Amino acid sequence: MIALVRAEVLKLRTTRVFFGLCAAVAAFAVLGVVAGILTAGNSGSPPLGSAASARNIFGTGGTAGIFTLILGILAVTGEFRHGTITQSFLVAPRRSRVVVAKLIAILVAGVGVGVLGSVVTVAVAWPWLAAKDVSVSLFSSDIGAVTLLGIVAAAVFGVIGVGVGALVRNQVAAIVGALVWEFVLESILVGVVPSVGKWLPGAAARGLTRETLQNGSLLPAWGAALVLVAYCLVFSLAGAQLLMRRDVT
Amino acid sequence: MTDVISVQGLVKRFRSVVAVHELSFDVQSGTVTGFLGPNGAGKTTTLRALLGLVNATSGTATVFGQTYRELQNPSRRIGAALEASGFHPGRKAIDHLKVAAIAAGIPKARAGAALVEVGMEPAADRRVGGFSLGMRQRLALAGALLGQPEVLVLDEPANGLDPEGIHWMRGFLRSYADQGGTVLISSHVLSEVAQTVDHVVIVAGGRLVASSTLAELTDRTSGGAVRLRSEQAGPLRDALVARGAAATLADGDADAVVVTGSEAKDVGRMVADTGVPVFEMTTDGSNLEDVFLQLTASEAGQP
Repeated sequence: MIALVRAEVLKLRTTRVFFGLCAAVAAFAVLGVVAGILTAGNSGSPPLGSAASARNIFGTGGTAGIFTLILGILAVTGEFRHGTITQSFLVAPRRSRVVVAKLIAILVAGVGVGVLGSVVTVAVAWPWLAAKDVSVSLFSSDIGAVTLLGIVAAAVFGVIGVGVGALVRNQVAAIVGALVWEFVLESILVGVVPSVGKWLPGAAARGLTRETLQNGSLLPAWGAALVLVAYCLVFSLAGAQLLMRRDVT
Repeated sequence: MTDVISVQGLVKRFRSVVAVHELSFDVQSGTVTGFLGPNGAGKTTTLRALLGLVNATSGTATVFGQTYRELQNPSRRIGAALEASGFHPGRKAIDHLKVAAIAAGIPKARAGAALVEVGMEPAADRRVGGFSLGMRQRLALAGALLGQPEVLVLDEPANGLDPEGIHWMRGFLRSYADQGGTVLISSHVLSEVAQTVDHVVIVAGGRLVASSTLAELTDRTSGGAVRLRSEQAGPLRDALVARGAAATLADGDADAVVVTGSEAKDVGRMVADTGVPVFEMTTDGSNLEDVFLQLTASEAGQP
């Protein structure tokens, strides 16, 4: 089992996609901080120095989730697209072990990507805020929790991505579908029917990180965490179930 | 000799299409078996069912008496090279092999060694995306060799190889078999493997049409023609007919006489008996490719 997890990690490390996604996460973390600090205090955004503003700025590590989602999708659909799934299942014909190894590897990679996003966020935001004489303690409970939960969200979305990839299998369809869902359909649902919307994965992730105390239409952090774990289980189990029986031709 | 691979009554149906129908054959230890048939005959499906990648609709396919999925660490017992496309284009050749080695618990050093065995070490650090089909075939073979298995299953390994590559593949398989290895190798071109295989299993339309040694298959070709050339073709023909041979003058060659239905040694004896001088004698018969086409055409024509 450990060997299979190591092999999955090596698969990630030996293509450029993984490093490209890491670069994107770092870039978006910087953008998030810039946007968070520049818009603070304008048009209804909480002013710098408030707890809500700090959450907005430091919670941007959570955007890593969208990239780990893609990472998870690529990890599975890439195997089908390039036919490497054949080798994976030849080496380990008990397929459940391959699936579990992949989930563990993506979980670990997701934590890594989440940490990267958080580190970049803190590295940019903290000195900037200090220069603006905004006092922010990195160890104030809110920022610490928001940063930590952003990392958790990144890991969780990687696992969901593996499940989605296993269910859809077609790489382009899976990625386009996931992005359309996340940025279009879910946004609409959250806006139109917030009572339903807050249970959706993206909103749950925001409940977990950024707007924990600010917006009543989001789930509380603990509830969001439970919802996300449930999504993880549903998607990964359904995906694994499908992979287990499928003919690999 | 024991059966290393055993396929019994294998049926695979994809929705309405029956890809493999009641197929049974065995591969004995230490032999090289050619698994032959035209494209779409069900060869790849059969091999994938054998390797646990495709679920059989009914029937069994076993390796060492077990299904592939039951094998402990299968990479060390049976190596498979199934298709030339199974690589991530952005991954280096050596990394592709290391991934498989780590997953199978094989020392990483085997990755480099396997590349050397297939003559690919200069390309170790190149990304597979830039490889020719022939290089991919070699890399796939290296993957099969990682665990130093005693059985190889190769699906169309000669596809995309240049003549030099095919020559190399033949030599490689022969030396592998000489060391006691067992090989099941599929191809849609008999001549590609005829020099290498001991046994042939021929399928068409998902059904078995022949399973025999190559020698037995070659025997089916006897009864072919013996071609004689002589400056006195007409008298030779007459003398042979007088001795009961089915001899005719060949079209388009005034010197040639064709004798059918007689073994070459009998024809030679009769010719000596006639006393007519002959300056050339050849046997046209042993055209394996014709036999192969005949065998597969009859089945392939069925719905």
